[in-house]
Amino acid sequence: MRLTKPSTIVAIFLAILTAGYSAIAKLSPQEQLQASISEVIEILHSGSDIPTDEKRALVLEQLQTRFSFDIIIRRTLGRNWNRLDESQQDRITILITDLLIKTYTAELASGEKPQVNFLKTEDLDSNKIEIHTSVTYKNALVSVNYRLANIKSRGWQVYDVLVEGTSIVSNYRGQIDEHFQTKSAEELLDVIASKIENYDSE
Amino acid sequence: MRVQLSTVSLACFLAVGTNLAAQDDGLDFDALFEDDFEAEEELPSINDPFEKLNRIVFNFNDSFYEHIGRPFAKGYSKVMPDPVEKGLTNVFDNAKFPSRFAGNVLQGRLGDAGKETGQFLVNTTIGLGGFFRVADEFESLNTTDEDVGQALGTWGVGHGFYIVLPLIGPSSFRDFAADFADDAVDPIPTPNSEISDSSTRGMIRAIDMTNRTPFLMDLYDSMKRSAIDPYVSVRDAYTQRRARQVAD
Repeated sequence: MRLTKPSTIVAIFLAILTAGYSAIAKLSPQEQLQASISEVIEILHSGSDIPTDEKRALVLEQLQTRFSFDIIIRRTLGRNWNRLDESQQDRITILITDLLIKTYTAELASGEKPQVNFLKTEDLDSNKIEIHTSVTYKNALVSVNYRLANIKSRGWQVYDVLVEGTSIVSNYRGQIDEHFQTKSAEELLDVIASKIENYDSE
Repeated sequence: MRVQLSTVSLACFLAVGTNLAAQDDGLDFDALFEDDFEAEEELPSINDPFEKLNRIVFNFNDSFYEHIGRPFAKGYSKVMPDPVEKGLTNVFDNAKFPSRFAGNVLQGRLGDAGKETGQFLVNTTIGLGGFFRVADEFESLNTTDEDVGQALGTWGVGHGFYIVLPLIGPSSFRDFAADFADDAVDPIPTPNSEISDSSTRGMIRAIDMTNRTPFLMDLYDSMKRSAIDPYVSVRDAYTQRRARQVAD
């Protein structure tokens, strides 16, 4: 029997990888988001044998493919972004991402597995869309819309989420604007850190 | 400070910004923030001249939810099977048809008013008194929830000012006043009630509120835990939600 050359194996492996990449790239933004959300729900309801911390890390890894947290968080700061020095900007990005992931996992992991129904994709402009979904969980129907932008070298990325018509970005921005009327950037970091500690102490 | 997710791995994730379908014809990174500043000017807002008083009521409500609402919700969820809880929510939603119908008519949305009527008839008959939302299966009957407050908003009537109602929560002068109009067409309260006995009406209201409490408590907890300033977060969520409902 003639053995296959290593270079052929590499070529086949690369071909398979490329085919997989092309297949994923060909999916519409809605299909890509749908796949990620389904995977996240599977992770959250994968049983109690996986520690919560590990689930959160897996959820973040999965969401990271579709959500640009750096953009989401810089948008929540709005004009206040420049009030923070570079180190504070890095810290707040990490802290708010952590807080969002912990809130999201705590909310969706409790109770029965949520049922997500993808309703439609609406064009906001040539490079922005809004994907409308409804989520059935805890005996209620909640509307959750995802706003995505087509960003150079990133592709379609979620830059805002609207729950029952309320934009997460705008909601945080309102709170942060009010915070900066009387308090400092360091105090803001402390408030967010204390919120995270509340989750960690459970 | 103890951060459960590894800061290093989180930072790596953020820096990498994983992507599968890179687009060279997409938006520049900075363009998103320029656009953001424009949008800032258009965000819905609400006057809050009574903020100090509102915060006092907000804290009272918070304490009430914490010490009475939440323990009660936990107990209720334990004893009430999920399908029954869901079915009861559907029944009360279905019973609010007259208010949604009036909201649509006042906005000149006769088509949606007709759909609401269709939904009500289907859910009441095939859905056994509204226990099952059968009409959801018919796309032609889908509508958005309307009320008199939204109708006033569509006519250009502003909120007036923000108020936090004891036990009930956020509202505005406009929406609070419009609630009376909603109640006037609601089948449960007076004056146009189909149920004349006040104790029965009170009991029905209590069952409705009881049944919704577990979900509302969960939602409230989640909001409170993730908010930097829960009072501002709730006020903004209320304003945004109503603005979107009026726009829809």
